[in-house]
Amino acid sequence: MAPAEQTDRWSIEQVVAIAPSAARFAAGEALAVASRWSTLGADARVVWGRCLGSGAEPYDTVVDHFDVAWRCSCPSRSQPCKHALALLVLWIRGEVPAAVAPAGVAAWASSRARRADAVAAAVADAPAPSDDVAAPPARDDGEVRPDTDASASTSARDDRIERLRGGLIELDRWLDDRLRTGLADPSVARYATWDGLAARLTDARAGALANRIRRLAGVVGTRPDWHEHVLAEIGVLHLLAQAGQRVPDLPGPLADAVAVAAGWQVRQADVLAGVPDTQSWVVAGRSDTREDRIEVRRVWLRGVESGRWAVVLSFAAYRQRLDADLVVGTAPHADLHRYPGSSLRALLGTVHDGGGAGVAAPPASSIADACAELGAALAVEPWADRLAATVLATPTVVASRWRLTDCTGSLAMAAGAPGTAVLLAASAGEPVAVTVEWTTSGVVPLTVHLPDRALDIGPRADPSFVVAA
Amino acid sequence: MSSIATVAEFWGELVTTSLLGTDRREPPSPPAGPLRDVVDDATRPTPSGRMLAATGACVAARRAGFTPLAPAPAPSLARPPHDDRPMLPSAAAHRWRVVVAHWPLLEDEWLDLVERGGWRLAPDVLVDLLRRHRIDAGRRGRIATLGGPLAAWLVDLCPELAGRATGRATAHRRELPISPALAPLLDEDVEAVCQTLVAGFAGGLFGSPHRAVLVNLVARLRPEVLGPLATALRAADATAGGVGLAISLADLASTRDQMIAELTGASAHG
Repeated sequence: MAPAEQTDRWSIEQVVAIAPSAARFAAGEALAVASRWSTLGADARVVWGRCLGSGAEPYDTVVDHFDVAWRCSCPSRSQPCKHALALLVLWIRGEVPAAVAPAGVAAWASSRARRADAVAAAVADAPAPSDDVAAPPARDDGEVRPDTDASASTSARDDRIERLRGGLIELDRWLDDRLRTGLADPSVARYATWDGLAARLTDARAGALANRIRRLAGVVGTRPDWHEHVLAEIGVLHLLAQAGQRVPDLPGPLADAVAVAAGWQVRQADVLAGVPDTQSWVVAGRSDTREDRIEVRRVWLRGVESGRWAVVLSFAAYRQRLDADLVVGTAPHADLHRYPGSSLRALLGTVHDGGGAGVAAPPASSIADACAELGAALAVEPWADRLAATVLATPTVVASRWRLTDCTGSLAMAAGAPGTAVLLAASAGEPVAVTVEWTTSGVVPLTVHLPDRALDIGPRADPSFVVAA
Repeated sequence: MSSIATVAEFWGELVTTSLLGTDRREPPSPPAGPLRDVVDDATRPTPSGRMLAATGACVAARRAGFTPLAPAPAPSLARPPHDDRPMLPSAAAHRWRVVVAHWPLLEDEWLDLVERGGWRLAPDVLVDLLRRHRIDAGRRGRIATLGGPLAAWLVDLCPELAGRATGRATAHRRELPISPALAPLLDEDVEAVCQTLVAGFAGGLFGSPHRAVLVNLVARLRPEVLGPLATALRAADATAGGVGLAISLADLASTRDQMIAELTGASAHG
């Protein structure tokens, strides 16, 4: 979309609204002095200038006031930085003259405009990420590459199936080699051993498996029982590699689940075109994890009527923003569109009611019942690496390791789980309702459900890496 | 090898073999049953192929048969003495996060209000306060008091929350200094305070060099002034110099006003 020739200037309230805080806005406003700026200019899309800051070199600042984006050469992690805010304040006050954008500014603005047009064209049927870790959203300095419509061409589809199959065969051979030479072999400790395979899987469009391989490489040597963990994951990858080669022979839902887990891309539009599961969904917990260069947020939902779990994922690369629409402790009445197969993964469709009033909590079960529920889910999808459960249990410590326990059993907590202290404080030695995320390293507490509030204690994204609420 | 009777024993053998590799050690034979059937059907009848099939099957079986560990032996943890103070309202807990993120100079007043109101700290706030003031002897003592028996119990269990405070604890916080020229405003009525500050901004008297004194002033104004002052400052002329500071002060006044309302509006003891 192209900007109008004459764009209305912003109001000061709009600048305040995009500032990270009132103090940040004040810092920007203090810099809004024309004498501190040079080469100021503005056109119908962008406003630009050079600000003399604390560094030897002035900072080059550009703000796209039409599509609301900014770029500044200062090292601030605050987004937008005070220079971008100051530039906008100067522009609002009419202290920025109309000018023709310099080449660098024009190139940035036109690349943003191109991307906006491409996104608008592609948004109707953009493909969904196929795996746990999606490709990152387009970055400011990146390039949008609308996915080619593989399903539109049978030959392209056949070619992709063949590539994926080739990747799965290679994966299985590689796993076989690891077990033949042993996990104590020095090659296992070399990252290149894993990274080479991951790159080939990426080429074969099996991104989900490539990510699993890279995650596994990070486990080697990090804890005393690393080889047990690696062996278990080798077993899971073998199951996927074998099942992935036999997808046409598998029953429908299992075939879908295997295909998605192996890396087959499902278009977001196709998921959203499915019949929605409409009910109130309790936002039971969330967890943020860094996977390679992407921060992944998992928001766990539980249907009030069906009692079924679902997980909504969002992704952010450096300096991008994680989705914060789903607030822990609320129960929005919404359409949820599940991915094919038995996958827990879903997309949030229309939200009919935000469910903001009151505090909602999923029903809590005993440890034994939760384990039965988790086991049933793992029987359906043995390759699942995270599941959720809500238990009524007491945190305790056994042999220097934290556990959640009740009279039916106990669950080991993952070492170093960030919310342990708050869980203890909320419990004070009594049973407490807590939503946990099961992982192969133990359960991670995500939310403590108290009668009048939900304490969101799950792992949080590093705020110096992404913007996260 | 034939002595393996359970899936758990079989898994242990698989782990050992995986370290050495099937080139150096024959893979274990699975216990009789479905696991053995799967391995017998392995697509590659090589030792490594059988090992891979056995590993996949064993992992699937172990995960599907996910069972809890034994209950913790009772008594597990000693409980802290009961604290019958009402828990801090969740809005006040949220406000504390806003205060420490944007207006930390209000934190002492927030703690005062909690103490005077007889509130019990919310669990998440207590943990964050203990972490935040590990080396501040004065505040550490106050938090220990506000946290009650739960704070001491928690620190015993979580050594990372223990204090590293040095120096002496002071019983009372320091009053924020303000300029003598502005001091009379502390006793003025609402209208006079609003008029003085708004006129100062409109007349270009206030700018970023005055930020510190004005912030201290707003942090000490009487509570009834804060709401109207926030409204008046937000209506400041957008084109005048210092509008950023005015909006920032409005945010401070509003934050403090809400903080006081949350902790004093409803009685902790009903």
